[in-house]
Parts: sequence; C-alpha cells; structure tokens
Amino acid sequence: MTTIESYARVVDAAPRGLIGGAPAGVGGAAAAQRKYSREPGFPVPILIAPATLWLIVFLFLPLVSIFIFSFWKTTGHSMVPGFTLDNYRAFFVTEGFFDSHSNDFLTPSVFIRTLWTTFRFTFTVMVICLILAYPMAYFLSMQVEDFKWQLALFLLVMVPFWTSYLIRAVAWLPMLGRHGLINEFLLDMGLIEEPVSFFLYSEFSYTMALVQLYVVLAVGPIFFSLAKIDRNLLEAARDMGATPFQIFREIIFPLSLPGIAIGMIFIFVMLMGEFATAVVVYGGKTSTTGTVILSYYAIANYPFAAVNAFMLMLAMMIGVVIILRVVDIRKEL
Amino acid sequence: MAYDSPGMFVQGRFSRRSFLKTTAAGVAASAATGLSFLRIAEAADGVRSIGLGVSEINEIQDKATKDLGFPVAGQAMGYGEMFGKMLNQNDQYEIAEGYYNDMRVMAPAKVWQPLDTKKLKDWDKVTNLTKTGKLTPESSEGQGDAPFKLMWCDADGNIVKGPSQYIIMCPAWHNADSMGYNPKATGRAIESWGELLNKDFKGKVALLNVPQIGVMDAALAIEALGLKKFVDKGNMTKPEIDFLIDYLIPLKKAGHFRAFWENFGQSVNLMVNGEVALESMWSPAVAAIQAEGVPCVYAFPKEGMRGWHGGLAISAKVKGKQLDQAYEYINWWLEGWPGAFVARQGYYHSVPDNAKKYLKPEEWDYWYMGKPAAMDLSDPFGTVIIKKGDVRSGGSYWNRYSKINVWNSIMQENDYLVKRWTEFLTA
Repeated sequence: MTTIESYARVVDAAPRGLIGGAPAGVGGAAAAQRKYSREPGFPVPILIAPATLWLIVFLFLPLVSIFIFSFWKTTGHSMVPGFTLDNYRAFFVTEGFFDSHSNDFLTPSVFIRTLWTTFRFTFTVMVICLILAYPMAYFLSMQVEDFKWQLALFLLVMVPFWTSYLIRAVAWLPMLGRHGLINEFLLDMGLIEEPVSFFLYSEFSYTMALVQLYVVLAVGPIFFSLAKIDRNLLEAARDMGATPFQIFREIIFPLSLPGIAIGMIFIFVMLMGEFATAVVVYGGKTSTTGTVILSYYAIANYPFAAVNAFMLMLAMMIGVVIILRVVDIRKEL
Repeated sequence: MAYDSPGMFVQGRFSRRSFLKTTAAGVAASAATGLSFLRIAEAADGVRSIGLGVSEINEIQDKATKDLGFPVAGQAMGYGEMFGKMLNQNDQYEIAEGYYNDMRVMAPAKVWQPLDTKKLKDWDKVTNLTKTGKLTPESSEGQGDAPFKLMWCDADGNIVKGPSQYIIMCPAWHNADSMGYNPKATGRAIESWGELLNKDFKGKVALLNVPQIGVMDAALAIEALGLKKFVDKGNMTKPEIDFLIDYLIPLKKAGHFRAFWENFGQSVNLMVNGEVALESMWSPAVAAIQAEGVPCVYAFPKEGMRGWHGGLAISAKVKGKQLDQAYEYINWWLEGWPGAFVARQGYYHSVPDNAKKYLKPEEWDYWYMGKPAAMDLSDPFGTVIIKKGDVRSGGSYWNRYSKINVWNSIMQENDYLVKRWTEFLTA
C-alpha cells in the first residue's frame, strides 16, 4: 500500500455522488460491527436463516444431486442409482485417444474442446467488455460532476437491460443480415458489391452480441467502485505532486479493482453457462457446454448431462478463484 | 426444441410484428392453463393434456370440453420440455399427445398405460399406415421408427409385433417433412434431397439443429448423391454416423451451411430475410414465409419424405372416472372434428373419412386429394393461406405416404450420434 492510500483509509469520506452516503473505509466498518453487538433487535441467526435455508434447498442440494447423478447409470429412458465412472470417461476420453494407431492420438474429447471453446469466447468477451466498460464507468463517475446527470446517464446505460434478453439478441438479425442495415448501407455507399455474409451467423456476430448483452454487468460494479473513491485522496495526491497518470495508476485503478473483479465474475459466470445467444446470432454453428447439457437432457441421458454440468461448474469455480486471486476483494473493500 | 414453435403459427398469430403480442398472450394463456390444470387435478374430474402446439390448441380443447361435458385442458410446450414432463411427471397429466419417435424411450419407461383397442370406437376405421405400415398395398414402410413397429403392445405395455388388442398410443395427426426453398434464389425446382449438399448453394443452406432429425436429412442427401447407401437411416451404425459426420465437417468448415435452426420461427426468418435459398423445413413454414411476401415452395423430393406421427396416450397413473374420460377424449379425437381442424394446417388424420365429415369438399380436395384449390382456403383460425389454384406438393395423401423414405427415430447409437453431432457443430 502506498503512503497516499494508507492516508486515505483513515480519512473519513465525505458523502458524494450516487453511493457516497454509504459508510466507507475501515472506520465505518468498525462502527457497524460495534452496532451489531450493542443494539437490541433480531439476533443474527434469525436474520440469515431465510437466505441460508433458501441456499441450502435451492442451491446446495441441487448441486449435490447433480454431482451424485453424474455417477449414476443411464438406461436410455431414466437413470438408475449406481456408481460408474463411465460418464466421466466419456467426457474426457475420445475413441482413439492415446492409441498410437489412431489419428486422434492426442485429440482431446469433443466435450473438453467444447468447454475450451466456451471458455475462449468467454475470455474474449470479458476482455472486450472490460475495455469498453472501464472508460464508460470512468466517465460517468469521474467526469460527470452533477449527481442528477450521473444518475440519468447511468440509467441510460442500463436501458438495454429493460428489454428481454432474447429480444436484444434477435435485434441483431435485421442489423447484421445479408439484407440487414449494415449491408444495405455499405451497398448504397458503393463500398461493397455483394452483401457480406460474415456479419451474421459468425464468430463476429456472436462476440458482438455477447459484448452488447453483458457489458452492462461490468459497467455497474466498476462505476460503483469508482464512485466510492474519496475525492480528497485525489486532491491530496495532486497536492503532493502526482501526475494524472500516477494518480490513475496508484489510486484510482487499485481502488476500482474490486468493481472490475465483481463485473468480470458476473460476466464470466453468465457466459460460461450461455446457450441461447449462439442459436440466435451464431445460427447454432457452434456448441457450448450449455448446449451439450441441453442435448443430453433432451435424450434423457441425465447422468451425462450432469457430468457436463459438473465440469462446467468446476471450470466456473476455477475461473472465479483465479479472478479472486488476482484481486483480493475482501482486502480491497 | 423441435416442433415447439409451430404452436406460434398454429395459433394463427405468427408475424414478426405481432411477436410481442403473442408473447404477452402466451403468458396470459399459460397462467390460465395452470389454473385449469389445478382445478382438474383437485376435483379429479376431466383430463389434462400435454403436447406440442401442433395438437394443443385452445380451440380444440374448448370444443372438447363443450362436446364431452367435462373439462379438458391442454398445455402446449417446447419439445424438450414436453419430452421431460411426459417421461418424468406422469402424475401431472392424464393425456400425453406424443410422438412415435419417442416411443423407444417412453414405452420401456412404462409411463403410459396400454390402451384397449376394444374401447376405441373407430379403431376399425384407422388406416393401415400405423397398423401394418402400408397405407396402400403398394406402399413402402419406410426406414426408421415407423409407427406400426412401435404402436402394438401386450396387456403389460411391452412393445410387441402387431396386431394385438393393446396399443401404447392411439394414432391421430401426422405429416411428412422435406425442404422448403425460394425458387427465385435457387433458380430451379428442388426435386432431390441431394440439393441440400449441392455446392451451388454454398452458404445458402440451413439444416435443422436436432441431431436425430438433422442427421437424417443429411443422410437422405448423401444417399441421393449416391455417396453411400445406409442400411437403415433411422438406426445408423457407428461407422455410418462417422461417414456422415466426416463428410459434413469439411462442408461446414468451407461455409456451406448458413445456419442450423432450432425452432419454427427461426426457419421462417432465415428464408424471409434472404439468408438461405434452401433449408430443411416443416410444411406450415411455407405459408408463414409466403405471408411475408417471399416466394417459397415445399419440395416433394423424388427419394420420398421424412415422416412423423403423433397420437394420444394415457398416463399410467390415470384410473377410475378419469380413465373413462381419457378414453372419451381419445374417441372424440378419432371421431374427426380435431382431425379436420388440424387438416387446415396441413396435418393428416388417422381416420381420413372422419376428418372429411368436418371439411368443406374444396378443403378435402386440396389438403387430402392433392387437387388444385377450387377457392381460397383458410387456416383453422380464418386467415387465408391457400390461394385459389394452388396445388399441394406431392399430390394426394395416399401418394405422399406411399413414399415415406424414413421416419423420425431415436437410434440405438443415439448417444454416439449426439456426440458426433456436437463435434460437427464445434468444428
């Protein structure tokens, strides 16, 4: 921690901006802690009971059953209790794998490749979202001084989220299609002679649609963490002769890391489970682990769907842990 | 998945503009369905029926309620949802309006009870299509899960070679699928499945993204091109599946396929937006595409079409009064009114003569006899979809169904098929 930062943490923040009113810094948290033990009211266990119960019944138990089902056997129309590793073998091992006579000697199974493809798209979209979202959030929190404008512009960023997810995805079709707006425009301008087909049902359209669908998930948290930064810090830094770049690198960016991490976790988790957008804007020309789960669900091979679901969950957990390793949210908050 | 959205069209409300309205109406309708389902379950009086939008149509269940004197509620679902509910929650419905191509899963699971054909009034009038597989003496049975192979059962519900006193599902509506094309975009008439893989149409072809069906369309194409003869396209061997997918992957990499569609609306949009010239298609899409002002023809390939057959089954959980009511509902279906209703949508009924009673002669001549329409004809909801003089591709019902090449099926190598299909999509 730099000197400026540690100085900042003891200064009590002046309320400012959208969430400036919330208690910030170490002092606020300590005060809140003292409140719990002193004030009469509902004891903590009662307060957290509903959420805990909810999580146990609707999250923990289903997850455990998915894990258990992944070892069961399938009969073609239902699954029967048992313990087999065949489902996992089918996930990892492709026919001809490590068979020196086969062309597929080192080809990973299609399910691993699908998981990898899913991850590759997710990662690309995360990077693009970050590149787009950060300046947006920065502008909103740092450049727009008036609270009313801040709120208005922030709501404007959120507007796309008010329409259904599917409609936002479908809306790309008249834009990118062979006879879509972009192609018509390019044709009219004489820039192309034939409609360009790669705009739609391609990696291009898929990535673009995903970015548009999910970028807001990054803008929000980054905006909030930027808005929370105590402006006195920046002033102090300036007084001490820091250049704007230094201020960004040593104060603003580190303090916005929790927002980045939370935004990235949102996008990562949503995208890894993605299956609908690929159908709409990629024309189903790729498969994601989500679509694989659906395909096996559709043929009543629930154990294998469970294996895929479990592997997906594992990949998500690893991803989230990595993100949290890079940014220690608890420390930063 | 498959077939889900015909419902959207069946309701006669399909257009891109009315999409939102339809969605809102759908939400309201499903809330109403939920309520009537609850009421029937609580009173143990009446029947709850689940299926696809092809047969679960408000007008049909309303008419049944009126004619039969007990409540009949229907719920239209997407294919995957329907399949899952039929298989795993047979206490949630009395009637399953299912499909014979799912029978290899449903029958061994014993989720439906054997139907006694002696309780089916018009059983003798049901055509031989589902009884022997031969609609006419010259008909070919077709490869794959032809209904006659999967309909008959013993008193315990085990599939047997017919005839028998018992059946698992009572045959009702059915149709045959092929390809739809825009004649302006193809520049010629499409008369063979092989055209799906013809390089002339590179980048302008779409297939159905349901592995079990998509793979059959591709196999029909490969056979038509003389590249390989499959022993049974409805039940391919691993090497056959490998041959097929290995042939398709380079085509996909070269950009042959514009898209793989999953629901009816998508297939309509692909052609309306000029994205494809030719695609595998369900017949109601033709009218929906023409309604948007885009020319579209439904092909009758010389190799024959791909058939599918729906019917009514009773959940194993149903007994007592509700069992009698379930039989009454099935008898009401066979008697013809609903058969005529769905005929205006292009679907055939297993007792054609009963459907005929409720059709205008002009309607009968067009839909069943393959004659030019003597007047403008409407869909079940009153929208004109057939112009005077139009002719249904493939001719009469008997002509079409004597040439079913293959039936929608679940193969023994289904798992392997889905795996290789995933590989094809990932390539």
